[in-house]
Amino acid sequence: MRSLKKSAFLAPLALVGSVVVVGLFVFGPTSAQAASNTSVTASTRPAPTTTSPNLFTSGSTSTTRPSGYTVPTPRSTTSTTIPGVTTLGGSQPYVAPTGTPGLAYLNLPAAFLKPGQALFAANCATCHGNQAEGSSRAPNLQGLGSGTVDFWVSTGRMPLENDAVQATRKPPKFNQLQTLQMAAWVQSLTPGVGTQIPVVNTSKANLSNGQQYFTLNCAACHTITGAGDALANGAYAPTLHLAKPYQVVEAIRSGPGNMPRFGSGNITNAQARDIAAYVVGVLQHPANPGGYALGGVGPVGEGFVGLLIGVGTLMLICFWIGDRT
Amino acid sequence: MIDETIDKSLNWVDDRLGTAKSGKTFLDKIFPDHWSFMLGEIALYSFVVLLATGVFLTLYYVPSSHDVIYNGSYIPLRGQHVSEAYSSSVALSFDVKSGLLMRQAHHWAADIFLGAMAVHMGRIVLTGAFRKPRELNFLIGVTMLMLGIVNGFLGYSLPDDLVSGTGIRIAYSIIESVPLVGSYLAFWLFGGNFPGDGSIIPRFFIIHVLIVPLIILGLLGAHLGLLVKQKHTQFKGPHRTEKNVVGTPMFPTFMAKTTGFLFMSTAVTFLLAGFAQINPFWQFGPYHPYQISYAVQPDWYMGWLDGALRIMPSWEWVGYGHTWPLEVFLPAVLFPGIIFNIFYAWPFLEARITKNRDYHNLLDSPRDRPKHTGAVVAMMALMLMVFLASSTDVLANFFNVPLQDTLWFFRFAVPIVPVIAGWLAYKICEELRHEDGAGKRKRASVVLRTEAGEYESIPSEPRPGDDHHELEPIEIPAFIDLVGADLATGEGVRRVLR
Repeated sequence: MRSLKKSAFLAPLALVGSVVVVGLFVFGPTSAQAASNTSVTASTRPAPTTTSPNLFTSGSTSTTRPSGYTVPTPRSTTSTTIPGVTTLGGSQPYVAPTGTPGLAYLNLPAAFLKPGQALFAANCATCHGNQAEGSSRAPNLQGLGSGTVDFWVSTGRMPLENDAVQATRKPPKFNQLQTLQMAAWVQSLTPGVGTQIPVVNTSKANLSNGQQYFTLNCAACHTITGAGDALANGAYAPTLHLAKPYQVVEAIRSGPGNMPRFGSGNITNAQARDIAAYVVGVLQHPANPGGYALGGVGPVGEGFVGLLIGVGTLMLICFWIGDRT
Repeated sequence: MIDETIDKSLNWVDDRLGTAKSGKTFLDKIFPDHWSFMLGEIALYSFVVLLATGVFLTLYYVPSSHDVIYNGSYIPLRGQHVSEAYSSSVALSFDVKSGLLMRQAHHWAADIFLGAMAVHMGRIVLTGAFRKPRELNFLIGVTMLMLGIVNGFLGYSLPDDLVSGTGIRIAYSIIESVPLVGSYLAFWLFGGNFPGDGSIIPRFFIIHVLIVPLIILGLLGAHLGLLVKQKHTQFKGPHRTEKNVVGTPMFPTFMAKTTGFLFMSTAVTFLLAGFAQINPFWQFGPYHPYQISYAVQPDWYMGWLDGALRIMPSWEWVGYGHTWPLEVFLPAVLFPGIIFNIFYAWPFLEARITKNRDYHNLLDSPRDRPKHTGAVVAMMALMLMVFLASSTDVLANFFNVPLQDTLWFFRFAVPIVPVIAGWLAYKICEELRHEDGAGKRKRASVVLRTEAGEYESIPSEPRPGDDHHELEPIEIPAFIDLVGADLATGEGVRRVLR
């Protein structure tokens, strides 16, 4: 009789379960609308797409998008203005107007040199030398350019915490202005040489190209989701989920640490811009229409959930409706 | 009136098909009530979900390596050259009503299916349910587990995304590593050197949706048929002997219970599918043989194979004009071969070692057979260690240690941990076996002092709930009466009673 009573309990629950299933099936939205523009054809290449905070094309037949399919607006897909810079120099033009559309280089003012040298002498010269010429403890910085300095300092990797391990990303010690001042001074030692500080306008980027170049050049270490992972000998590819567009381009161009350096012969300026846009617009804000992303770590998290929650719940149900002695 | 109609129609069917006799066997089938006997049903019902959702997916999936330009609704892929398989997989996820739900339900059901089979097998092995006369059914079960793993891998490969394409690349190398015939086998299966002539996706597809499911279905029928024929095992208990089965009959109790469980299994699978994202391959992009992503893991049930590959030192031997890639062949071909042969041989090894070849319809508690339990736990620990070795990079990243340290850790842990775990399990079982009342609820003791000053303790009276009360088992009520028929007229040879 015990079992009979329990199975009576099951009936409403089973009913609820099946109603949920049927409900999801009937009322569930298609995962992206694009009702009219879904066919896959080899005949036409689509017009170049523009960066949109929404990773799905809008359908022409429907104007409302089900919630859950919109991607949060990237915090800064465009960075034509670097905070702290434009407010300082007033009308002084920091951004060189020439260059690839969407990728320009910062033109640092001469007024930055003096405070930059002072900051460098106070914070960096102990290891890197008074003229950034390097020492037995730290490399020569002459000729590396302002972009290299900006990358290492703005990601907090410099000043170094522990010279025995790979430099880790941490909250930067210097603000944007101080960083640029030091970068300007190091740049001034070898004018015109080295990696410059880019200004990335990701609004002109092509995400699809970014996806392809990222997969081709970056995913082999940083992983396809940009999460990063451990490499051999204690090295690791850091996560890209915190990187800003200009830092992505600086890393591509300067090759910090174990990372290879990609010159403009490998990755053009437009491609570097597309990669930065993909990192910031897609990898940092991936479309997860399938529900909770489980940390985005792939089958490790999925197996954990499938076994613990899936099989585990069903075992608990067995335990509940079955006899326990 | 209605009763008469039902009687008549049932008799009509029975007169032609003779269903009453098998119907009686089926309806009177006794199922033991213990919860662990339902673990296999999780696998059964997730297989049902797999079939249903899989049929839905075949309506939209295009098994073709043909190169097309993706023009669907996911912007970061638009304009890219992708295979038709990948393009249709993304399209069925985004542009088909409830397509993503169905695909995720299919994937979650696969994860649950294999997990349930593993748990079910653990119960069977630990309680000794595989012993005579059920060795054959055990072999069928192990075969289904193996086929399930193979089919899971094939299904995982079908979307043709960057991650699963890497998996196919590894599979190609594993096939190629077989001595003498490897390269011929690989070329034959892929239609040429990797990635072949584009025939691998259609081939995987037909194996995944037709051939393996058909074999599993056949084996499932045999598995359940043998279950009915040989009847269930049961745990020891009052009124339970080697000659009977105590439990609830199929009709009406168990039928209600198991139908409810079918709905519950479906509900759990679909709730996961609705709330938890699985395998977001639109984030991975299409597969091209010249691209790769770091930190790629297979689905969990392939983890033990991946782990074995990872921890293997790079041993290679050149001789007789050939390179013998032992670093692939040993962990990826020989190791799983040995493991599954041990699984297959387990009932026969057990019978040979214990020299016990009797019929066993009563199960043992794992603690009653410490040596066997120790061996099972050692085997489980081995599988678990190799499984965990597939996450060397994730562990290295998480614990902030160099990758090769985690690698070396598992090179030692894989042989050592099973020995320790098996020995510990053996010792714990030995202790539990000699512990009176272990596993039962503790009962208060009353300490008395005699007049002579001597103390003695006696157990207190049982409180409600201390003891397990069971109804007295009764004979199976006859719903279908096969006797008392009038053979002369042939009327009512079998009579249906309700």
